[in-house]
Amino acid sequence: MSLAERITPAVVRRVAALLAVLALAACVEQPSVSRPPVQEPVTPAAPAVPPPRAPEVQPPLQPPPPSVKPLAPLAGYPKSLAASGAGPAVLALARQAQESRSAGRYDAALGQWERALRIEPRNAFIWQSIAETQLFLKNSEQAESAAQKSNSLGRGNPWVESANWRLIAAARTARGDSAGAQQAASRAEALVAAINAAQQAQAAAAAAASSAAATAASPSP
Amino acid sequence: MIRIQSPLLRWLLIGLALSISIGLVVLSFWLVRLDREVRTLYAGVRWVLPAQVYAAPLELYPGARIKLPELKRELDRLGYRASDELTGPGTYVLAADEIRIDTRGFAFWDGVQAESRVAIRCDDSAVSAIRAMGSDQSVDLLRLDPMLIGSIYPSHSGEDRVLVKLADVPPLLPATLIRVEDRNFEHHFGVSPIGILRALINNQLHSGKKQGGSTLTQQLIRNLFLTNEQSYGRKIREALMAILLERHVSKDEILEAYLNEVWLGQDGSRAIHGFGLASQFYFNKPLNELRPAEIALLVGIAKGPTVYNPRKYPERVKERRDLVLRLMTDGGLIREDEREAEALSSLGVLNNVAGGVERYPAFIDLVRRQVKGLYREEDLGSEGLRIFTTLDPRAQEMLEARIIADLPGLEASRKMKADSLQAAGVVTSVEGGDVLAIVGDRNVRYPGFNRALDSQRPIGSLAKPFVFLAALADPGRYNLYSQILDEPVELRQPNGQLWAPKNYDRQLHGTVPLFAALAKSYNLPTVKVGLDIGVDRVHDLMQAAGLENPPRLPSMFLGAINASPLDVAQMYSTLAASGYLTPLLAIREVMTKDGKPLSRYSFKLKQTLPEGPVYLTTWAMQKVIEFGTARWAVSVLPAGQKFAGKTGTTDDARDSWFAGYGADRVAVIWVGRDDNKPVGLDGAAGALRIWGRLMRDLDARGIDLAPPAGIEEVSIDPQTGLRGDEGCAGVVLVPFLEGAAPSDYASCANAGQSSPLEWLKDIFR
Repeated sequence: MSLAERITPAVVRRVAALLAVLALAACVEQPSVSRPPVQEPVTPAAPAVPPPRAPEVQPPLQPPPPSVKPLAPLAGYPKSLAASGAGPAVLALARQAQESRSAGRYDAALGQWERALRIEPRNAFIWQSIAETQLFLKNSEQAESAAQKSNSLGRGNPWVESANWRLIAAARTARGDSAGAQQAASRAEALVAAINAAQQAQAAAAAAASSAAATAASPSP
Repeated sequence: MIRIQSPLLRWLLIGLALSISIGLVVLSFWLVRLDREVRTLYAGVRWVLPAQVYAAPLELYPGARIKLPELKRELDRLGYRASDELTGPGTYVLAADEIRIDTRGFAFWDGVQAESRVAIRCDDSAVSAIRAMGSDQSVDLLRLDPMLIGSIYPSHSGEDRVLVKLADVPPLLPATLIRVEDRNFEHHFGVSPIGILRALINNQLHSGKKQGGSTLTQQLIRNLFLTNEQSYGRKIREALMAILLERHVSKDEILEAYLNEVWLGQDGSRAIHGFGLASQFYFNKPLNELRPAEIALLVGIAKGPTVYNPRKYPERVKERRDLVLRLMTDGGLIREDEREAEALSSLGVLNNVAGGVERYPAFIDLVRRQVKGLYREEDLGSEGLRIFTTLDPRAQEMLEARIIADLPGLEASRKMKADSLQAAGVVTSVEGGDVLAIVGDRNVRYPGFNRALDSQRPIGSLAKPFVFLAALADPGRYNLYSQILDEPVELRQPNGQLWAPKNYDRQLHGTVPLFAALAKSYNLPTVKVGLDIGVDRVHDLMQAAGLENPPRLPSMFLGAINASPLDVAQMYSTLAASGYLTPLLAIREVMTKDGKPLSRYSFKLKQTLPEGPVYLTTWAMQKVIEFGTARWAVSVLPAGQKFAGKTGTTDDARDSWFAGYGADRVAVIWVGRDDNKPVGLDGAAGALRIWGRLMRDLDARGIDLAPPAGIEEVSIDPQTGLRGDEGCAGVVLVPFLEGAAPSDYASCANAGQSSPLEWLKDIFR
């Protein structure tokens, strides 16, 4: 089959769409928060993900408005336990754990977080609090494991993940693993940068939208 | 004779005077020594206080998955009494749409749960609201008092007791005790001369029958320090020691010691000491909730718990109880009309021993093993430690009920004799490693061989998920839709024997996708994949999942691995928890007898299996239930919810296994025979039946289907395992490790020949 035979109008459209997507992907790379830019710091030599992974992106017929894609995830992710849909029982236990922690009774706080966990075992914020409490108790391995578990359940929540990587960095520092701590800290930083970028973009988009709304009550495209 | 008589008399008199003096000196010395002995003995009295073992408390909160009838059942199990109005802690009122409870206070490890009156509403699946009575305040969270499920008492003496303080017991109890046993207690000096005299005369008249006459102090001395031998020497010693003790110790202290020391019953090898435990043992409630008739019963049987065993001789005990009730009225302790009402009541003694090791022997066995390494044997038996465990009495009773209910049906289905099958089961939480329920024998109260922990049986196909996990962890070579040829495999074993496994159905199935080989539990593809991936890799993953010392032989792919149901629960809970290993724990906290926190046992967590491949394996294990060997379970599991599991059958169907999980519960069931004869039940026909209904009864939640990071879902043409799209019939969305999905399109796909990637590749080729 010759090249010419293959170039049908459909193919042309698809290629155009692909190129558009690739270009778009390049533009929005930085604020893509669901995946930390520092992919796998342990093996930096490994080849990165093959660049044209376009086929997974369903080729859209028209390019989406550029502001939507990076912002949707941030908007959808809860920032705190209270916003995570936790029930009143878990929130009550969180308050108790907070009191225990303020009183320096970290073991009691851990027990209260574990009670909360039995009620909502898949809540990433509870796992994160367990990690934090384990760190107070100087159980750095347990702190790191719980933070990892929180990452697993966080499903790409950048707030959860950045805090977890900070906890992991602290846990590794406590163990004397400074290289590992550095890697974890840079992941946390990258996530924070991504959050900031996304928030700026969001603010800009909001400003643009409001100015657009202010300037004209013109018909929508 | 006469000549020497006078000096003899003189000498005799002198001798007499001398010996009296010496006697008095000796007596004083003896008394001083005895006094010292009493003091040191009494100071050294350390109550034998076995460790008390508690179940996990029921946590009630809006959203807690419990219905009103179950809540009522829970309260009944805790010994709460149903009534028309709340009359004090430990009572409840069941109304049409809510349950009102006066909860008992309890000092937990992390704080006191105060007594409270609450009204709880439930909808048809969960608690919908909790309201503090007398106010409109809603309650976020409430812990009921935990159920006392047993004690760890020393095997040599078998002494079991729950310590009480005089200040905490209802005043009617000591008052009745004094009235019945030692009316003059408040005023005598340790012995009651009149009592002794009366007893002496009586015992002379009726030599066979021994009458008391001894004071509470004397009884205490006898129980604490002396043997039960009946001799005047001992009697005198006892009386003197009682007098001496009263010089050092207050009446209240003596009374309190008596309340805790007295023997009040026997439960096999376990001796029930003290009123605190007796109240639990006979009535399943704390002392301060006893009615006058119940107090009368306990005081009555103190006279002789063998003769007055209320479970054996209810009529004799009722007579005795009513006599005590009359003594209460005579003493002005209760009014006559109260006595009449109380005397009408039945004994109220529970037929089954509440709590005690007999109730959940398999679980207590696990607790005993887990605390063994943590505390010294003598401390466990004597220090009154309070051990708080993970046991969920509801899950435990559901597991017991299932095994009891389902085994006869399984026997009938294979025309087996009744009671020829045995079974064991374990239920754990997915996160946190809590052991929630254990059954080690179909006779669930029998404290014998604990199959859940000690029976080591080949696990059969339960091993297969780990073979495929090892394959899926190698995304360059395998994915869920890898096409595996089902063909004969022959292997020379290290011992020279030829190993030629067969499929269970003795058929060959052509080419099958990897996940279907697991779902249908085909042996030959499993062995093929296992050999390709390597024994060591599979071995390492099983070990990482928590199995100790798995073998390193190809036969392990098909489960030639001996393990107990608890071992399997450990392995499968690591899969259920996305690859995080948490050693299963039965204990959470230990407190001292005074309620001070001693130690807490947090779960330990470590990621030992890669999350993505575990997700893929779990996906394949869902297919076991959707259309594989366990599809029967679809008929009992809640519609629309996904569970993952695996059947296990060993050679000639000697062992029938099922292990599986949802989002919050892991359950493992084994069915087989103790003599290891074939049972004719494969995993699906046997253990699965119990497992499926159990998961339904447990109200287990289905698996969270959202894929973790590092997983992409791709439309696949099921015929070829290649990418498909709307051009293919019945494409399915299949998870892959990122970058591991097939890049080629199936021929049916519209995009097939001209995917942009292909096209780009062609350009640069």
